[in-house]
Amino acid sequence: MNSRISKRELGFGLAAALFLLAVIPGLNAFTPETSPFHVSDFSINLWGQYLCLSIVAVSIDLLWGYTGLISLGQMLFFSLGGYALGMHLMLKIGKLGQYKNDLPDFMVFLGYPTLPTHWEPFANFWFSAFAVLWVPAVVAAIFGYLAFRSRIRGVYFSILTQALTYAACLLFFRNELTMGGNNGFTDFKTLLGHQLANPATQRGLYIASALALIIVYALCRWLTLTKFGKVQRAVRDSENRVLFSGYAAANYKLFVFVLAAIISGVAGALYVPQAGIINPSQMEPSKSLEAIVWVAVGGRGTLLGPILGAVGVNALKSWATQAIPAYWPILLGGLFVIVVLFAPKGIVGIAEQIGSLFKRQTKHSKEVSRE
Amino acid sequence: MSTRAFLFTAAISVFLFSTRIFATDDAEKTARQALATAILAPEADQAALVEKLAATPHPALGPTLEGWQREQVFVFTDEDGQRIPFLKVEETSTVRLLRVDNGQPLVNKAGSPISFDPSLKAVETYSKLRRAIKSTTDLLALGDESPSVRQNAVLKLGLKQSPATLPVLEARLENEPDQRVKETIWDSIALVNLNSPNPELKVAALQRLGQSASVPAKDAITRIASDSTQTPETLQAAKVALKSIDKHIFWVDFFGTIFRGVSLGSVLLVVALGLAITFGLMGVINMAHGEIMIVGGYATFVVQCVFGTGLAFAPFGISMNIPGFGFDPASAIYQSYFLVALPIAFLSAAAAGFLLEKSVIQFLYRRPLESLLATWGASLVMQQLFRLTFGPANVPVASPAWITGSFSVEGVLMNYNRVFVIVFAGLIVVGTSLLLSKTPLGLLIRAVMQDRTMAACMGVPTRKVNTLTFAFGSGLAGLAGAFLSQIGNIGPSTGQTYIVDAFMVVVLGGVGNLIGTVISALGIGTLDQILQTTLRNPVIGKVLVLVGIILFLQWKPSGIFSTKSRNLEEGN
Repeated sequence: MNSRISKRELGFGLAAALFLLAVIPGLNAFTPETSPFHVSDFSINLWGQYLCLSIVAVSIDLLWGYTGLISLGQMLFFSLGGYALGMHLMLKIGKLGQYKNDLPDFMVFLGYPTLPTHWEPFANFWFSAFAVLWVPAVVAAIFGYLAFRSRIRGVYFSILTQALTYAACLLFFRNELTMGGNNGFTDFKTLLGHQLANPATQRGLYIASALALIIVYALCRWLTLTKFGKVQRAVRDSENRVLFSGYAAANYKLFVFVLAAIISGVAGALYVPQAGIINPSQMEPSKSLEAIVWVAVGGRGTLLGPILGAVGVNALKSWATQAIPAYWPILLGGLFVIVVLFAPKGIVGIAEQIGSLFKRQTKHSKEVSRE
Repeated sequence: MSTRAFLFTAAISVFLFSTRIFATDDAEKTARQALATAILAPEADQAALVEKLAATPHPALGPTLEGWQREQVFVFTDEDGQRIPFLKVEETSTVRLLRVDNGQPLVNKAGSPISFDPSLKAVETYSKLRRAIKSTTDLLALGDESPSVRQNAVLKLGLKQSPATLPVLEARLENEPDQRVKETIWDSIALVNLNSPNPELKVAALQRLGQSASVPAKDAITRIASDSTQTPETLQAAKVALKSIDKHIFWVDFFGTIFRGVSLGSVLLVVALGLAITFGLMGVINMAHGEIMIVGGYATFVVQCVFGTGLAFAPFGISMNIPGFGFDPASAIYQSYFLVALPIAFLSAAAAGFLLEKSVIQFLYRRPLESLLATWGASLVMQQLFRLTFGPANVPVASPAWITGSFSVEGVLMNYNRVFVIVFAGLIVVGTSLLLSKTPLGLLIRAVMQDRTMAACMGVPTRKVNTLTFAFGSGLAGLAGAFLSQIGNIGPSTGQTYIVDAFMVVVLGGVGNLIGTVISALGIGTLDQILQTTLRNPVIGKVLVLVGIILFLQWKPSGIFSTKSRNLEEGN
């Protein structure tokens, strides 16, 4: 692996960033609806959601592709981030809700006399925005500390993360948690004073998501180039050797786990105002596994792969759940099995696989001809 | 009250001779005709007439009296203008009309049965009449053949705490053959005596109830204990009795919780056993284990349908039909379908496991993490196949009569199906451990488990052993599915609800050790139930169990029993 970013990569990256940040929103805002280049409001919203899911995919790849940790609970951190911002959005609905009450609708419905104390600070946007970062971080730090300290590895770690998101899912389904039970949060109206129904706001959220993705991508790319990134990959390839060389592998893993949780939390917070809903079903173990599929399909161990995978699989999902709903799970499951069995490096790796196959053949034929 | 007392005594004069005093047809006829008269009588007399029935009680009156309360008794006027009361009995597919006066089906002059006229209005009841009917039915139960019905009836009488019931209870005591019913009668007499003006009798009654730790008497005793007008001795006796009853309730609850915990643990054990074997042997975490389990559940469902009326389903739009034998659901042969279903559930799940191993898992033995992912993909596909084949709703699997119902030991309620699951889990564990320790296949499995490479060098066909073990573990999952069908419903996503718990059992139990799996399954099951009953919140209980497991792994990172290994990658 090169320790420097080549000019070609930088140029390509800048072009992609420009495309995501300026061209698509520009086409949405400044072309007439009849133009063939017009990007509809619906598409902007949809792509905004895809980009948020791509951010989660990058965080999974940071864990799986670069550190060898399969977290089957990444969507838990995504949801925690979403819930943290969701609480703010719920409070900003104010009297516009169905019950015309300052309390969120579900609280009126469940008969709360006043706002629970722990909800009050979320009326402040910056407090909520900060909670989007620290809530997933704290949960990940506590769980990760306990898990890595006792050297829980491999499938054991995966299963425990799955149990973690399952337990959280069960908790959030309860009304007692004051998080809206199985309906979660929905019917959001405004964010920072802007109407969410307004196309311009949605465009803004799209740009924010694209910006977040680019920053996360750049951050991860930088991280993998540093010494830290090298230790990270060494932990993936042979944790025992890293230990024997005097590195505290557990600390490296913990840092990556917490970082990935924060990244997912940010993705969740950006996703919620665009999707317009957050509920506990996002924490179901199958949702996190689905996110693993994006990374597997795109190609783990490359930062571009997860983004392509998340966008590709979700676009496929949007199409298939409309066109062939009964066969979508079979398609998804089958895709996953095939990718794991035959293309462990995913879409990005396929080109490489074919290339190496070709190279080996030419090498082989050269050797034959030499004889 | 005094007429009541007279009637009770009169009723007992009939009970005095034997428990089965109603054998003669004449008694039934007289009783039935008396009831028919009561139904046809003017409203004002009905209550008195019904109370009089207690003098000539007969169990045959039970259904009609109950039917009267539920407004299922009507009056039919025949061609001659004669009014005949009848009882409408609704069965699953037919409605039968039975004459009250002789219990025969209602027929017209020509002898053909009469169909129900929906415009008929039920014979009305009013509150006084309903009370009379109820006390008469209670008395009828006192002479019932089944001891448990008699026991309930006696207790009901006792809880009325009316001195008028004393002669009835004492008379019943004299010719009661069953010891347990006798005990209940003593309790009921004591209950009545609690209201006695004589303090000595009261104290004696309190002592009796305290000794027998009679839970139903708790309310009455609490009332006495909080009544300051009672004598100090009485209050003291009441306190002692309450303490003894509370202690009894605590132990009954405790053992009830342990029992439910062990039965839940047994289910987990059967679910997790197959998982533990495949994981222990091959390091493969099979995420499709839950779905393979459900294959067993659906196999049970299909066998049940084949014993009944057959089954029609349409996977992928191709309609298929499995004909059934058409046995009567009440017949013994239909009831035994479950015994046939067990081996079929085992074999079909084993076949599914075999296919999964051959098509997916065998390529991934060196990549356990990825086998976890690939099997999850397979589980998605399987779930959807179930949905397409059997529909998205849960399928109904009826338990055979011999594993429904319950019995009680010292007040602890035991359901037969739970007992059955516990016993069967024990059998499966013993069978599996015998297979592993005594058979040639078991020897090979253990060899591969301990050192795959070395076993291969010694000529063990490791691939074959893998396939066989995987199929065997899947078969065990199929059996678990068959059991689940007896406890809950079977649906496309039922497997998902058990799989996380089953994983926890495997992680906690340690790898390659049956005892560890048994202990962790029973431990998790019992802990779950204890937390659920003490916190009254199933979710917090589950979360605490998970936290407990994570904390436990801090102390013993590779489970309760881990095989000692110097291999860095395996042990710690």
